[in-house]
Amino acid sequence: MKRISSVILKDPTFGLLLVLPLLLWVAVTLLYPAVDAVRISFSNVRYVGLPIKYVGLTNFKHVLSEREFWDSVIRTVIWSVSNVALQLVGSLGVALVLNQEYKGKEFIRNWIILPWVLPTIVLAIVWKWILDPTHGVANYILIRLGIVERPIEFLSSTTWTLPTAILLNCWRWIPYFSVIVLAALQTVPKELHEAAAIDGASRWKRFTHITLPFISPVLKVIALNSLLWSANIFDTIWLLTRGGPLDHTTTLPIYIYSKAFRSFRFSEAAAAILMFLGLLLLVIIYLRILFKEEGAQR
Amino acid sequence: MKVIGIIFKYLSVAVVLTIFVGPMIWVGINSLKPTPELLGTPSFLPKKVTFEHYKHLFNRIAFLRYYRNSFIVGVVTATVTAVAGAFAAYSIFRCKYPGRGFLYRFFISSYVFPKVLVLVPLYIMFSKIGIIDTPLALVAAHVMLIAPFSVWILRAFFQNVPVEIEEAALIDGAGRVQTIFKIFIPLAAPGIAAIWINAFLMSWSEYLFASTLVISDSTKTLPVGMAYFLQEYAIEWGIMMAGSVLIAIPPIIGFAFAGKYFVQGLTAGGIKE
Repeated sequence: MKRISSVILKDPTFGLLLVLPLLLWVAVTLLYPAVDAVRISFSNVRYVGLPIKYVGLTNFKHVLSEREFWDSVIRTVIWSVSNVALQLVGSLGVALVLNQEYKGKEFIRNWIILPWVLPTIVLAIVWKWILDPTHGVANYILIRLGIVERPIEFLSSTTWTLPTAILLNCWRWIPYFSVIVLAALQTVPKELHEAAAIDGASRWKRFTHITLPFISPVLKVIALNSLLWSANIFDTIWLLTRGGPLDHTTTLPIYIYSKAFRSFRFSEAAAAILMFLGLLLLVIIYLRILFKEEGAQR
Repeated sequence: MKVIGIIFKYLSVAVVLTIFVGPMIWVGINSLKPTPELLGTPSFLPKKVTFEHYKHLFNRIAFLRYYRNSFIVGVVTATVTAVAGAFAAYSIFRCKYPGRGFLYRFFISSYVFPKVLVLVPLYIMFSKIGIIDTPLALVAAHVMLIAPFSVWILRAFFQNVPVEIEEAALIDGAGRVQTIFKIFIPLAAPGIAAIWINAFLMSWSEYLFASTLVISDSTKTLPVGMAYFLQEYAIEWGIMMAGSVLIAIPPIIGFAFAGKYFVQGLTAGGIKE
């Protein structure tokens, strides 16, 4: 039986024919534009349709000489590192809470992911409303409790906006990652915990010596994904603050977007994206090697 | 001691739910409050229930048009994704030819690849061929963003469809194409439905490409249309509340149907990697 089917299945034209539509689509809309981005970064495209003039490294030099570029690099680092750290700790915490035995746990474990399922525009409307200085319920509660005297401008003061945006992005991603951590927690053998408990190991000891080592490979994958995605976040920041106030939430994706679609400096934007992705790639490769070595040592 | 443990347990679950699910419920409740109450001292339940904000959504702004645009782009994107994605997945996981392992890795990496890079080149390309500011441009971009991911989700589904049934049909003299349509697709239907729903929802939510590839008011999708009202100096809060509830409904329904599949898919991927 196996032999007959493998003869038919081995017909390569049929297989290639089936994969072709998607392959072509991705080639035309992703692969070709990606190569085109490199070409654009070395030329001078200001208006669509004008003949292209190659200008060498001018765009890269210009971007590198801009203060705004370096400011947004620093902001991207702050944004990404705090997002990764908070999302790791947060998703672990949420997963541990939801991993307990309680009524309705199946339902709750499924629906906790709601913030991630909802479109970003909903996140922006919901939180802009809750955090609104005059009408928002957050400031109302803070004032009633006597924690603050005057309402906090969560999304428009230079001090508060970046931390608020970071927390709101975590609000969106913690549920997503906590679902993954929850699945990982199911793989920790119950017998180990029971045996350790009989030997008198405290809850904390059992957590650090049994649970954590078991789920640490998953936590590493989460850290890498979270870093890659956080660094690339555009819509959450843009819809909440448009990079403001006074560029205080302008991370690299926002900087690049403004450069391309507000100043219409397409070539400089392309140069900035290439440098951004190059940097990101290096960090990810470095972390992967680091994680692998750690794993090998154990 | 035990009672304290139980109280603590339910309290912790309640706190988690309040933080992550509470805000959406709060907005749902607020969408039913008349404007003076909405903007006055916050109270949990509305003293008077009204649907005026929902009415204004349709009378005062082009909400229905945005909704229709988003819906059309979403349905076309999802259908193209489901068909092309299922074909590609069938080819990669069911046919034998050199290079299919490479193709799989190619689709996975194109999913993880940061798409900001192609935003500018796509914008230029679509302007040149004259489809900028049409739903077609957005569909082209959305399929590119979503379809590679669907190949990944389909992997688990296709593995669950036994090869033996197909083989039996082939031996009985059914043609290859006939086998796919009569045997394979019905068996893999839940998986294909799941990627259709997932693709629709991703397209429904997408903002970055939608905000650059469709510009005029008649082609704007929901996220882009609503974002415009969110940046106004005096935000019409009632309309925004009602709007966000209606935008959230398709994702909630979609997740209720297919959520369990893509949670499975994402956890399997997260753990295996």
